[in-house]
Amino acid sequence: MSHSDFGYGLVLAGLAFAAFGAVVGLTSGLMRREAGAVWARRAVYGFFACMIGANLTMIHALVTHDFSVKYVAQVGSRATPVLYTVVSLWSALEGSILFWGAIMASYVLAFTLVHRKEHPRYMSLAMGTMLSVGVFFAFLIAGPANPFGTLPNPPADGPGPNALLQNHALMIIHPPMLYMGYVGMVVPFGVAVAGLLRGEIGEAWMTPLRRWTMVAWTFLSVGIILGAWWAYAVLGWGGYWAWDPVENASFLPWLTATAFMHSTMVLERKRMLKLWTLSLALVTFWLTIVGTFMTRSGIFNSVHSFTQSDIGPTFLVFIGMLAVFSIALLAIRGPVLEAEGRIQSLFSRDTSILLNNLLMVAITFTVFIGTVFPLISEAVQHRRVSVGEPYFNKMAVPPGLAVLFLMGVGPMLPWGTPDRQRVVRQFLLPGGAALVTVVACLLFGLTGFLPLLTFACAAFAGVITLRELFLPAATRMREKQENVVTAVFQSAAKARRRFGGYIVHLGIIVIFVAVAASQSYVTHVKGTVTKDKPLSIGGYTLRFKGLSEGQEPHRRFITANLEVTTPSGKVEPLAPRMNYYERSTDPIGTPAVRSVAYEDLYVSLLAFSPENGGQATFNTWIFPMVGWIWWSIPMLVLGSLIALWPSRRRAVATSTSSAPPLSEEAAPAAQKGAA
Amino acid sequence: MKRWLPLALVALFCAALLAVFKVGFGKDPHEVPFMLKGQAAPAFNVRSLQSGERATLAQKKGHPLVINFWASWCGPCRMEHPVLEWGYRNFSSQVEFMGVIFDDTEENARQALAAQGGSSLPQYLDPNSTMAVDYGTSGVPETYFIDSDGIIRDKFVGPIDPDSLRKHIAALQQPAAAAEATK
Amino acid sequence: MNVMLSFSLVAALALQIPHAPLSAGSEMLDPTREARVQELGKQLRCAVCQGVSIADSPASMARAQLDRVRELVAEGKSDEEIREYFVARYGEWVLLEPPAHGVNLLVWVMPGLLLLGGLFLIVNYVRSAGPRPAAEGGSAAQAPAGSDPYLDAVRAELEKE
Repeated sequence: MSHSDFGYGLVLAGLAFAAFGAVVGLTSGLMRREAGAVWARRAVYGFFACMIGANLTMIHALVTHDFSVKYVAQVGSRATPVLYTVVSLWSALEGSILFWGAIMASYVLAFTLVHRKEHPRYMSLAMGTMLSVGVFFAFLIAGPANPFGTLPNPPADGPGPNALLQNHALMIIHPPMLYMGYVGMVVPFGVAVAGLLRGEIGEAWMTPLRRWTMVAWTFLSVGIILGAWWAYAVLGWGGYWAWDPVENASFLPWLTATAFMHSTMVLERKRMLKLWTLSLALVTFWLTIVGTFMTRSGIFNSVHSFTQSDIGPTFLVFIGMLAVFSIALLAIRGPVLEAEGRIQSLFSRDTSILLNNLLMVAITFTVFIGTVFPLISEAVQHRRVSVGEPYFNKMAVPPGLAVLFLMGVGPMLPWGTPDRQRVVRQFLLPGGAALVTVVACLLFGLTGFLPLLTFACAAFAGVITLRELFLPAATRMREKQENVVTAVFQSAAKARRRFGGYIVHLGIIVIFVAVAASQSYVTHVKGTVTKDKPLSIGGYTLRFKGLSEGQEPHRRFITANLEVTTPSGKVEPLAPRMNYYERSTDPIGTPAVRSVAYEDLYVSLLAFSPENGGQATFNTWIFPMVGWIWWSIPMLVLGSLIALWPSRRRAVATSTSSAPPLSEEAAPAAQKGAA
Repeated sequence: MKRWLPLALVALFCAALLAVFKVGFGKDPHEVPFMLKGQAAPAFNVRSLQSGERATLAQKKGHPLVINFWASWCGPCRMEHPVLEWGYRNFSSQVEFMGVIFDDTEENARQALAAQGGSSLPQYLDPNSTMAVDYGTSGVPETYFIDSDGIIRDKFVGPIDPDSLRKHIAALQQPAAAAEATK
Repeated sequence: MNVMLSFSLVAALALQIPHAPLSAGSEMLDPTREARVQELGKQLRCAVCQGVSIADSPASMARAQLDRVRELVAEGKSDEEIREYFVARYGEWVLLEPPAHGVNLLVWVMPGLLLLGGLFLIVNYVRSAGPRPAAEGGSAAQAPAGSDPYLDAVRAELEKE
């Protein structure tokens, strides 16, 4: 049996399992029968096995260069190294949808296994919903985006994956991370829909909803930052975010997911904002589908563009169905989700979170409308316009700074009515820190309204976050005579969500600072070097050592060998190059980057010639602090891990549990709720 | 009464969005707008690669003109070179041809031409690609068709094939309105 | 010796490899005028790229466009005239933010409206709810109005200092 037949058979089987599971799960859940859960679970197992099997079949076909399979003929090549051959599974549209299917199946399986002892009726509905989404994707793989077609006359060799995708190791890890973030949002969607279909959303279900969102959110954050790092390291213009439609598409669900994770805190404490919170969960998933549509439909002008195909209209129909279903569900169940609490004061943490939500939604809307507007313009006024960096800098950055400021204000304010005196006292230290920061910057010669405002807000939020992180530990040290390490560890262990959340906040603050510094204080020199004439930028001197040539199976390249003398006197080699691929008209350069803790020296080869004994022209930049953007990843991951770490004492979720029992459990439970 | 208002607005927004997306199908998002169609061709003053003489737009007035922008580092340009040679052989009596080298050094251009066995078209250097930007090019290769009144009728983006070349040259001979009708 | 080696290497590869765009663009102007060039460059779109500005893009077309901007600045043209030059050739599409007239106003105005509207709703919502006495119904384990007990204890500690 050929790869194509076997793989396609698995896809069809997967479609069958998903359809079966969706029907059984949803009907048995809606009819309040418990027996369906077992069958829905089996359908999940079957769906998982088929999707993984189909992916492994495709990988095998790629690695053995079976060019009779349509997708292999499209992206495979005998010249490509094995690693990139495997990676080419997700390098083009059909393969990436197949990969999507595998990740979704894995997530649904993980959810099913983790919660297999939970309430069957909830589980049936959740699994049924997730498998319905699985039906759509399996249908897509079996139909419009079929990678398993058989070619009657298989070619002897293929073109290989896109040149840009073979330039850098980051390309191997960025898409999987992004997928795991994107696709992961199907789980909270399933849980939210299950809750809405049942007509209640209790304690027992808010916790999985929140935790699975956080898992997907973490992967999405890492995926986005890795994408930015890849752009920086590969594209040669020193930038890491171009407000490209596909970049924006990944950013939108991130924003709503962040809003969601904050509004669940208000939901938990005050039992209010129920409809709003669930809407955010639904919107986040909807945005991942819209984002996938934007990436793959081919109607957007983007670095990640694919050609237009049948896949676009199919997605559009699904998006429409999702929208109708979600709105109807919210409309019908909305009245059931009564608010039980109230917000008491404009100057409380609750209101801060509401404002955070408003800003996140505003930024989401701004990025969305900016991305879609070229299409609107063409449809309505038949004129093509561009919406690029200048627009987003003007419209999305100011609310972003407001969010940074709120990251300080929120934790500083209490949950209910504040004691004015206390708030003022709390404000003094961070406010002072902000002021000192600005003065220090000015003394060091750093100017500019926007970066200074960012640093001030960052100092403000940073001091408050550090205080919230270590104050409990300091108290423990004093009261219980614990040493530093134990105190910190214990205070983290007793309030994981809170501690983890604040670590994540620190990571985000670092990103704000790094972005402000690397955008506002750039040094740029463009110049030509020869044997006798070096180039100076900042404290660095670049000396030309000559050109050399190289050859790899899939490309040829010219390297300009440089010697850089750093401000501290070290002498190191730097070798930016120009890569030539068969299929590109413009060669694609690989920049050379020298990173130290506080800045990057970035050298991009523009031109070279043998005249004057050999010369080369470079674009060189010094980007202060840009490395901190990628180094924030460990902070985000650490914070998430701490927040997600399961605790033994947590009350097991049962079908009837509402509030945690009032007992000595109350104190730790309240701590967790304080996050 | 107020309960359904936000959801209704959301529904309306979604519907509008889907309509906009639907309209987007079939359009090419990578197409670069070309505003000079039907406008007067911008003046130029370029130096010949072969003879060293200068050529200006004013000199070409009264004759239809075909301008081909290309570069030595551009693969598709090399592919279309024979087509332009063929076009020159057959149509140079009717229209004038010009090759303009885009973003390249003289050295490279000469080497590229030598490698292709020379060129019958007069080739011109465009230092810093001033003329190319003046003409609103969006990369290479591109071929512009200018009528005897100095109006840019159309341009062909990408490596040109003999059929399109013939059709566009034929259209140049006719007055503008008739040429539009035959499209 | 090394010079000869690298020169012959370069000569050799000049014949083998398809030629790179070897022109590196025009020389930069004096700092004030070059700053204008870069500023304008950030506003204009590279004709072959996907939404990148001509100041940022390493593509050959972008360099050509930026060179033209440099020429026009050197000729003494104003920022507006330079933008119009490009719009005359590439349409409004070449500007990286849509000029604020007609339908384009949608994209400039709606985010602000959303923000203001939302702010109004929030303030209304909080005000209309009104402050309530500390003991609220509905959740037995709810911490008293104020911060959670643990942090209260911590803060109480601080007060003692």
